[in-house]
Amino acid sequence: MGNEIDIHAPGVEMRKSLCYFCHANCGVLSYVKDGQVIKIEGDPNYANQGGLCCRGNSALLHLTHPGRINHALKRVGKKGEGKWEKIPYDQAIEEIAERLNQIKAESGAEAVATAGGTTRTDDWARRRFMNQFGSPNGFHNALLCWIPTFMAETCVAGWSPFETDLGSAKVVMLWGMNPGASSLGAMRGYTDLQKNGMKIMVVDPRYSETASKADLWLPLRPGSDSALALAMLHTIIFEGLYDRAFVNDWCQDFDQLREHMKQYTPDWAAPLTWLTPQQIRNAARMYAGNKPGCIQWGCTWDQLGTASTTTSLTLALMRAVCGNLDVPGGDGMPGPALNFLTDEEMEANECLPEEQKAKQIGSDKFKLTSWPGYTLISDNAKRTWGKTLPAEWFCEAHGPSVFKAIITGDPYQVRALIVNATNPVNSYGDAKMTLEALKQCEFLVTVEYWMTPTALLSDYVLPAAGALERPTIVTHYGATDSFLGGKRAIQPLYDRHTDMTFWRKLGLACGQDPAMWPWETEEEAYYHILKPLGLPISCYDEFVDKFRMYYPPLHQNKFVTNGGFWTPSGKVECNSTILQELGYPGMPTYMGCSENEVDDPEVAEKYPLVLTTGGGFMPYHHSEHFQMPSIRYLYPDPYFTINPVKADELKIAEGDWCWIETRRGRIKMRANVQAELDPRVVYVPRGWWFPERDGSADLDNPFGCLESNTNVLTSVDVEDCDPMGGSWANRGLLCRVYKCTDSDCTFRAADAQWSIPGSSSEPGVTVMPSQQKLAREPIPFTMPEMEPAPEGFYRVWQSGELYQEGTHFRLDPTGWVINPRTKGYHDAYTGWRYDPATELLVDDETGKSYTMDREEVVYRGGVRCYPGQEAPFEVPEQLTWNQVDGFAQLPGKPYVYDPASGWLVDPDTGDFHEAYYGWLYDAATGNLVDEATGTRYDMGYNPIVEEETQAEATGDAMEEEGGAQ
Amino acid sequence: MTRYVMVVDESRCIGCQSCTVACRTWNQLPMDIIYNPVVSEGVKGTFPNVYRSWTPTQCMHCANPECVPCCPTGASQQDPDGTVWVDYSKCMGCKVCVNACPYGMRDVSHMVPRFDQYVRKCTFCRDRRKQDPSAEPYCVATCHQRARVFGDLDDPNSEVSKLIGTNKTERIFTELGTDPQIYYIPEMGGGAR
Amino acid sequence: MKHHYWEAPIVLYLFLGGLGGGIFFLSMVFDLIVAPGSGPLFFAPVFFALAALALGCFFLVFELGQPPVFWRVFTTKTAIIKWGAVLLSFAMIFGFVWWLSYLYLLGWGEWTLGLASALEGARPVLLGIAGVCGFGIMVYTGVMLSTLKAHAFWATPALPVLFTISALSTACAAIALSLGGAVEAGGFGLVVEELIHGIVHVVDVVLVIAEIVVLLIMVLSFYGAGNVTARAVAVRWVRGRTAPLFWGGMIGAGLVLPLLLYIFGEGTAASALVAPILVLCGGLLLRYLCVYSDERAPIPGEERFYARLPKKDAEFLTAWKQGENRY
Repeated sequence: MGNEIDIHAPGVEMRKSLCYFCHANCGVLSYVKDGQVIKIEGDPNYANQGGLCCRGNSALLHLTHPGRINHALKRVGKKGEGKWEKIPYDQAIEEIAERLNQIKAESGAEAVATAGGTTRTDDWARRRFMNQFGSPNGFHNALLCWIPTFMAETCVAGWSPFETDLGSAKVVMLWGMNPGASSLGAMRGYTDLQKNGMKIMVVDPRYSETASKADLWLPLRPGSDSALALAMLHTIIFEGLYDRAFVNDWCQDFDQLREHMKQYTPDWAAPLTWLTPQQIRNAARMYAGNKPGCIQWGCTWDQLGTASTTTSLTLALMRAVCGNLDVPGGDGMPGPALNFLTDEEMEANECLPEEQKAKQIGSDKFKLTSWPGYTLISDNAKRTWGKTLPAEWFCEAHGPSVFKAIITGDPYQVRALIVNATNPVNSYGDAKMTLEALKQCEFLVTVEYWMTPTALLSDYVLPAAGALERPTIVTHYGATDSFLGGKRAIQPLYDRHTDMTFWRKLGLACGQDPAMWPWETEEEAYYHILKPLGLPISCYDEFVDKFRMYYPPLHQNKFVTNGGFWTPSGKVECNSTILQELGYPGMPTYMGCSENEVDDPEVAEKYPLVLTTGGGFMPYHHSEHFQMPSIRYLYPDPYFTINPVKADELKIAEGDWCWIETRRGRIKMRANVQAELDPRVVYVPRGWWFPERDGSADLDNPFGCLESNTNVLTSVDVEDCDPMGGSWANRGLLCRVYKCTDSDCTFRAADAQWSIPGSSSEPGVTVMPSQQKLAREPIPFTMPEMEPAPEGFYRVWQSGELYQEGTHFRLDPTGWVINPRTKGYHDAYTGWRYDPATELLVDDETGKSYTMDREEVVYRGGVRCYPGQEAPFEVPEQLTWNQVDGFAQLPGKPYVYDPASGWLVDPDTGDFHEAYYGWLYDAATGNLVDEATGTRYDMGYNPIVEEETQAEATGDAMEEEGGAQ
Repeated sequence: MTRYVMVVDESRCIGCQSCTVACRTWNQLPMDIIYNPVVSEGVKGTFPNVYRSWTPTQCMHCANPECVPCCPTGASQQDPDGTVWVDYSKCMGCKVCVNACPYGMRDVSHMVPRFDQYVRKCTFCRDRRKQDPSAEPYCVATCHQRARVFGDLDDPNSEVSKLIGTNKTERIFTELGTDPQIYYIPEMGGGAR
Repeated sequence: MKHHYWEAPIVLYLFLGGLGGGIFFLSMVFDLIVAPGSGPLFFAPVFFALAALALGCFFLVFELGQPPVFWRVFTTKTAIIKWGAVLLSFAMIFGFVWWLSYLYLLGWGEWTLGLASALEGARPVLLGIAGVCGFGIMVYTGVMLSTLKAHAFWATPALPVLFTISALSTACAAIALSLGGAVEAGGFGLVVEELIHGIVHVVDVVLVIAEIVVLLIMVLSFYGAGNVTARAVAVRWVRGRTAPLFWGGMIGAGLVLPLLLYIFGEGTAASALVAPILVLCGGLLLRYLCVYSDERAPIPGEERFYARLPKKDAEFLTAWKQGENRY
């Protein structure tokens, strides 16, 4: 029948939660009755304004889906056979911990790695475990999603300017981003603002949902983003469209940049981008001519393979020279959370020894996003902001290289992999190699909602708590200064556990110090994170109920108040010194995407079409939600898009099953024949697998995870990866497309043979990963000669400034060190803070104060004493100066005279006494009491007659009685 | 009087089908029942000079519904506020109303027991409005884009009245005389034109 | 946009309803007007009419989403279907009682004679009501479809005309096959039977010709001047997927061939047996073709939407059963 569930019925509690199906984390109201969620709806008072997408609306079905993993599973058959024993969660944890410790003892902690997927929350817990365990080899799909961009932008200006202030912007450039299919809440904002006059520019090879609403659409060749960005920056510089005042005041090495950019004319870029020079110039003029404007980060920037960071670096400079950094209507730079704990402060990075950091796989090549680059950037952030960005996400092992290490033992054998919140076969590049790595992995543990191909191959599968079963916070990878939170609607069902609980339990079982894991629940941890805000709350849930979100006071133009940008030089670095130090060009230097017809004409001959992959599409998120029948019903089969002109030529009709083939393998999908892209381009959606199948039936292709998986086509070869950030090639690859025929329509193992490097003609390992060359040779960097730093300090070569080791406080010529966060002065030897109000030094850890001679200041009853000194103030005549203890007192009384108030203070009780007779001040009545006699006096020293008080008291009582009658 | 109508702003719709899924889950519909498909003819034109729009559909809650008078049991009916709905306790599943609807917005599920099939259709979330008179239909509440707006056409100050008053709106198949009450603000070809 | 909300049971019902109604109507015409006293001859045809209506009702109820509550059909006043149900019920009740009054023809004993004498006086009224209701049924089956204007191919006045002619034609065929069955006629009875056979023969020839004309007019006018939806159906009939069934089955085997047999095979089994059977098959085919021509004008883009939905037996729809947790 209809909908008989009444959310307004008595006994139904409404709990404010957050959606957990993508990192937009929309507000959700959960209606809970008797411990069960009976309904959910979008929260109208949250950013999503009541909106929920297909995924969010399916949360209840997700919660009780019969395919969910509800208990810890231990493999009892062969790997992949699908035979499991259900065991108690804690037993599984114990067994896993024992095995991990054994591997650590035999091969070192670095032989244990962990893979994650996209961000949700609490990844600090994973890092906290790994740091204490001693392995640097944690990774996510970070390199495909924002992290290389963040690092490049931070090299330029000191933080990623990712918080667009659209409300005051005149134009927004959505580059390689399709909010209309991936972040609907944002799309609504764009639409509303567009209706109020803001212009939307969309850079996308596809006529995407967003492009269909745009004011300007630039359908570039997939993967040619770096050329387009460079040519736009060229136009902006040489047409004088940049902000001269800003460049003069705040940019370093702009002249070098101008010289360098000369080569990248629109005419040069036109054949690379398939746009006309006029289109490029118009786009540059539209962005630069409508100030202030925003450039919204798009995933594409990090999925171009070789050209990734070049593109984001160019765009970072584009918004900088246009003066759109951190200004109203521009791209705001939040910086780390200065008012509550950052993720980095939760990660316990100090536990990881330097020699283990050096073992991080991929950090010898892709330095920007691993320990070498992170250390430079993070130390700089500590020097400039006073806090830094998390190591999780921003400083990780190179995922594909870890998978290769499992297969090849190069650079060393990785023996165990803990997979938490990802299905790497579908979400990492080169799926067939990844699948092989999972098969070969000696010890594989998966924490999951579903029986994914990865879970199927695991030794242990642990049930993960998901949406509605866990509290959720939003801090944008721990890289922003705002905080949004939602409660859990219910405790996890069955034996499901949250991710933090998993890492905590595993850590404790591995023998980690319980003091390092003081929080049993997320709520406790979040409360710990929020405490420094000083809000009137006693627990996390109360924060959600009363506040739900915390935003620091909006502060734009922070670089002005700060007196500079948060870079080593204090300016926007047009020629990044950090990049130079890492051996990369400091200015954007053109690089084509991993495969293109200009650099690889012989490949293009055989594979004439350009493939673009990785775009988000409703209703799925990455490789998730293919199990949800109500969603799948609307999109049951994988469709790739091809232009009707090309489809005609290839005799492909709408709905036909076709093969899409690159040098690395082939997959099949159905044709969506649409004029939304260039006839030379095909668009292949990501993520497809078929969870409804029997995974064990075909271990060459479990759950059909290779059959229609776009990552069979992508490349993770070292030379195809971005030499700086390490992101691998998803866009602009070369492919060919042909129709499935009756005799060639079944997917076979040979269609996706694994190989290193990726090649369908040479299976197996033909070149060891360490033998493979980067797309661009490192540029040797020599540190300039510098005057040596005094002991305990180090010198920053860019500015020549001295900084204190450990604290990263700057040494001022006055001899003080300066805390960048508070701008407060600290004593260079003790670290004590100078408090200008008391003119004392304060040790914030102990709360003790010291004189400028570093002598401890003694307080009695809160009054400062001067033991052994003469009185520094005029002592009233009725008092005597106690030279030994250094305070003025009434003879015979222990009370301390407070020169600021004129009262005496009892150091034991804190009570006040007047300074002539020592009578106690009774705050309740406002009287003075002579404790010896019990006599009361008013403030004019007139004794108070007892009867009156009694009469008053009786009167009061009578009044009360009267009132009661 | 109250006359509930919906205004659908196609210039805001991005075809995400959230309303479709939201409706299915809120109303706990069998898999093959879709009250409000978001349909599109796809991309029109020749690359790169192209155009596209989406039409979120649903029961048109016609002022002159085809599906009500044909019902032999009185299960298919219309409230005074215009809501066309089916009383499941009266329906016997003859499907004449299903055949009568020119918009294809009614159906019986084939994924329920064979002899427990009754006609289902959009009710403008009658149940939600009964529980809370200020509630909007769930497809309206859940739409991120605010492409759907629900309200009282007889109230000149309602958002729907204002939208209909200030925009050129279209309705589907008016030539059949059904007087449909879903008003569409057409997509004029994206912001680019 | 095609959904086929109504399927085979409705096809059978429309055919059987028309057939049964037609037999009642013709029986009434003959017994009360043309050849009074020919009642016994119609004992067998009325039996078949009753059987047809009963079977038709069975299919109708079977096609319901909730057959046990079929009685709800009588709960409103206005709906066409309700009137159809009332006509069906009356026709069957009165027809049945009329038929009971001739039950003695089977020689089942005393009580049948008693029944006959008791009902003898009421026979004209009984058959009159059943006949009028039968006429109503014939017309109503077509009218019901033609009022569903969502389906362009149905929404034409030609359709009830066509259905009525077809109902009468198939009724003629059925009467031709069953007239006088169960009655050992002799003498005058035989003459009447011959007379009625003759009339039915001529009438059916006329009806078949009329049906060809109406059918061709309807289909070809849709083909030439119908709206997009109706024309698409007509194209399918005339030269599309259903053209073989239409031209070969419906027009050829169902109408023209029996017509030729009626005319040129008079007096042979071809005319007496084969032709009526072909007419009956033609009538069924007509209902089938019409019911499955339920195309509706799509909302632009609707077809694309539905084309992408999964088949009803898609694996993911049955892979998980609510409540049966796997892991």
